[in-house]
Amino acid sequence: MSFKEFQNCARLYVIGALDPEEMTEFENARKEFGQKGEDYIGECYALHEAFALSLQPAKASNAIKDQLMTMVRERAQSTPGAPPPD
Amino acid sequence: MPYKVRQTVEAEGEAMQPVAVTPAPPGGGPSDLELMRGLQAEDAEALSQLYDRYSGILKALILRVLHNETEADDLLQEIFMEIWRQAKNFSAQKGKPLGWMVTLARRRAIDALRKKQAYSRAEERLQMETEQQPEAWVHNSTQEEIVLGDTRVLVRDVISRLPPPQQQAVELAFFQGMSQREIAAHTNTPLGTVKTRLELGLKKIYDGLKELKDEL
Repeated sequence: MSFKEFQNCARLYVIGALDPEEMTEFENARKEFGQKGEDYIGECYALHEAFALSLQPAKASNAIKDQLMTMVRERAQSTPGAPPPD
Repeated sequence: MPYKVRQTVEAEGEAMQPVAVTPAPPGGGPSDLELMRGLQAEDAEALSQLYDRYSGILKALILRVLHNETEADDLLQEIFMEIWRQAKNFSAQKGKPLGWMVTLARRRAIDALRKKQAYSRAEERLQMETEQQPEAWVHNSTQEEIVLGDTRVLVRDVISRLPPPQQQAVELAFFQGMSQREIAAHTNTPLGTVKTRLELGLKKIYDGLKELKDEL
């Protein structure tokens, strides 16, 4: 597989559109291209962000946020002192 | 109370130069990366600000997949809990915070869709929407959105320039989690045609994003 073909497959891979038989060939090429391939796959995940930004934002509920923050604060109080990961 | 962390952490996100196109926070608040650092330090205020900034976008994504307001609200809450729990796994070197959150939200939404008993009904609704409003993916921008960021409008413009069959193929793959074979069956289109549509559509969007990034 050429790098151009790998790039095509990578864009399909990040949105989960590769068929199973294509996955094997893609994973082999992924090993072959190493870090260069991983970097390209990482860049392709920006497609996710773009698709989300293409949508009209929906109205999110304040009640949902209140419940969320209550759960988070209760959780934080029940497990105090955990050091943040660096 | 606004989140006040002011660390110079943006440079970490520049290592790989992702093609991300996140709009700048309105009003000069903390960056997304600063808020992610806040989450990693278990600061609930940082989560509150991330919710205010991105709950609308994430909910729109979930709604696009599930087509149900109540389920979308429930899942949105679960997703922000997962963002809170999984924040320690976020790495700025692998991408931008919004991309990471969208990837997580999309995966959860598609999982939920597949579990739904009413999957077939959602498919019918999607098909109706696609047939009745082929341009539904692209919306007219309001003044508020322009204030939030021209980037969003520009991204929509990139997508809107795709031919409708390519838009449909990309939409089914991204928002419904379909493989190429599933799209071919769903649209009664030859598999080779679906592959071509997806490849061309994604390449155009990707290239468009690169151009956008160069312009910004």
